[in-house]
Amino acid sequence: MLGWEFPPAKTGGLGTHCFELVKNLGSKSVNVILLIPKRSQNVKHNIPNVEIEEVGSVPIMPYNSTRESTVTFEKGYGWNFFKEVDIFNKKCVEYALKKKFDLIHCHDWITINAGIELKKRTGKPLVVTIHSTEYDRTANIYPLNEIVEIEKRGIQEADTVITVSKHMKQQLIERYGADEKKIRVIYNGINVSKYFGLTKKERKNIVLFLGRLSNQKGPYFFLHTAKKVLERKNDVTFVVAGQGDKLAELIKLSIDLGIGDHVLFTGYLTEEEINYAYAMADVYVMPSVAEPYGITALEAIASGTPVILSKNAGVAEEIKHCFKIDFWDTYEMANKILGILDYPVLGECMRKNSYSEIKNFGWERTANQTIEAYRSLL
Amino acid sequence: MTSICFYFQVHQPVRLNRFNIFSGNTSYFDEVKNSHIFEKVSNKCYIPTNKLLLNLIDEYKNKFKIAFSLTGVFIEQCQKYTPDVIESFKQLASTGNVEFLSETYYHSLAALFSQKEFEEQIKLHKNLINDLFGQKPKVFRNTEAMYSNSMAKIIENLGYKGIITEGHEKILSWRSPNYLYKPVGCENLVALLRNYKLSDDIGFRFSAKWWEEYPLTADKYSAWLSKCEGDCINLFIDYETFGEHQWQDTGIFEFLKHLPFETLKYNNLNFKTPSEVVKSYKPVGVVDVPNILSWADVDRDTSAWLENEMQRFAFEQMVKLEEKIKQNPELLKIWRLLQTSDHFYYMCTKWFADGDVHKYFNAYDSPYDAFINYMNVLQDIKNRLGV
Repeated sequence: MLGWEFPPAKTGGLGTHCFELVKNLGSKSVNVILLIPKRSQNVKHNIPNVEIEEVGSVPIMPYNSTRESTVTFEKGYGWNFFKEVDIFNKKCVEYALKKKFDLIHCHDWITINAGIELKKRTGKPLVVTIHSTEYDRTANIYPLNEIVEIEKRGIQEADTVITVSKHMKQQLIERYGADEKKIRVIYNGINVSKYFGLTKKERKNIVLFLGRLSNQKGPYFFLHTAKKVLERKNDVTFVVAGQGDKLAELIKLSIDLGIGDHVLFTGYLTEEEINYAYAMADVYVMPSVAEPYGITALEAIASGTPVILSKNAGVAEEIKHCFKIDFWDTYEMANKILGILDYPVLGECMRKNSYSEIKNFGWERTANQTIEAYRSLL
Repeated sequence: MTSICFYFQVHQPVRLNRFNIFSGNTSYFDEVKNSHIFEKVSNKCYIPTNKLLLNLIDEYKNKFKIAFSLTGVFIEQCQKYTPDVIESFKQLASTGNVEFLSETYYHSLAALFSQKEFEEQIKLHKNLINDLFGQKPKVFRNTEAMYSNSMAKIIENLGYKGIITEGHEKILSWRSPNYLYKPVGCENLVALLRNYKLSDDIGFRFSAKWWEEYPLTADKYSAWLSKCEGDCINLFIDYETFGEHQWQDTGIFEFLKHLPFETLKYNNLNFKTPSEVVKSYKPVGVVDVPNILSWADVDRDTSAWLENEMQRFAFEQMVKLEEKIKQNPELLKIWRLLQTSDHFYYMCTKWFADGDVHKYFNAYDSPYDAFINYMNVLQDIKNRLGV
């Protein structure tokens, strides 16, 4: 398996997915060799049947690295980034060819070239999981052609393509000309025991946004919604948790809107702090412009917090006990936030019901379905 | 002789507008949607079924009889959107073989919070039925067939002779629903109990391919009826079954068209209206119903409207306004429209995740949307009342 992010170094769902997937595959006696880029901290683990190997020269952090002002080509990605990815893929191939395996599984564009090369050299079947496309990550604003091309090739060469939602499957068919028959939808999961659950909490009128501060996640809509809520109700705090290249712009916007004193930017949070943030919030809002899945929604639910989701989020295909909104409809979003804040019974009903909904969403389900996908190729 | 007693429930709620607190002066009710749905159901159900029933009554003269209960909110919308349908109900009334029952004007949950309001709504409805069809109803059915000992007592005191509810094992245990029963503590009132098995064979299972009896035909069904023991078989069905819940292509109209002929082939069967059943037979036992019974979903109680915290909260908030609102004739009508059970049914979370029948009838994306919308309207009314 060729991966990218891996806890503790992660910026999104892919990292969680890879970790939980190999853990659960391992416990089902599937032998996994996971290749990931070099870390600044070494990955510590003792997962049975799983060998994790760090390849590459220097640590690569894709989405957080600050852009060198002189380099406009590699938009949003760091200096030398493409070169590093290329080296990583080559080292993966080199390393993997010394190992014995029956199947190649890679995640997202960043490992696709190595996957294709390995398939060519060994004739083994190739599974490609698409967690997000370039169009998603850029919220359709200047997607990089180079990346789209890699994604296209990967989807074409793969024997099976796994997507994390039906919505994503549709996108691959429409935008990438993918063959519908080889796509399997396998949803992400949640390890409920890691979160606070339904423990009774004190109401503090906290509204939480948590995610990368990029166009994709819709933080601007969150702030415009905050403004509308605050016009009606004064004692509300809006927490913007996470980091990203839009942080400065968002801080400025909150001041321009005159709501600076009601918006709290947390910057980077540790996993433990994130868990507290989820549990403290009275409502979690995910106004993503594009959201292939949206594991954070499950994490909020696992923390006993009601959620408002963008209609187009993959997770909205699975969760019924939540609000689903158009990310641009800030009036409706504000209406729903106020509903939850003004009528405690609403949040109470929703959080209880959604919590019982995710009971069967364990990663074991994801792993089982992935094994099924493997089996059909062997 | 066993009498087949048909009664059809006819109701359309007045659905609320999407009332966002930022939307300003939106009207509370969604005229466009309500008229659209009403016209659609009229075309699929009310118009063709009324016509068919009128033909059948003509054809079989006094041998085929039926009863309707039309809610006040149905009638109001009907007068507004499809006045022809009201005319056809009047035609049916003039045959002398169609009985109209009594209920709360607003298809409301009034019986659950105020005897005064309950009685006022019954009176409003009774007057409307009398004005339109020249009948003084003698048989009462509460919203969704809600029933309890104390409700029966109120209805008896209002001078009714019969009351309708569900013929469920909960109150009957081993006894048959095919007889009249006396509500405990009542002297002049009898209970007509729905034979839910035979009613649901038409209402729910008619087009169910998984059902072993599928397809249901009029001769097969009549044969079942002829083999039933008892005085009366009460078939109480939502009228929208014909053409709306069961679409025309399921053969539901053909079924109805042939049913009188097939039934009247049997010497031991005839048709009677609820009032005739009350006059013709004697109660064989007593029903004791301390807790509220209804015909709603599998639980047969009030939990479809008042189970979760949202439903109970919204209901309490609405109820609280009774005293104040009665001094404000303009808002009184709106408040009463907010009592319609459907609004609370939309907030039901019981079966939501299963996406079953509740979803089909739900005007909202989720019970939570229904709740916020209802509360926003109620809050606006409170503001206008100065509460």
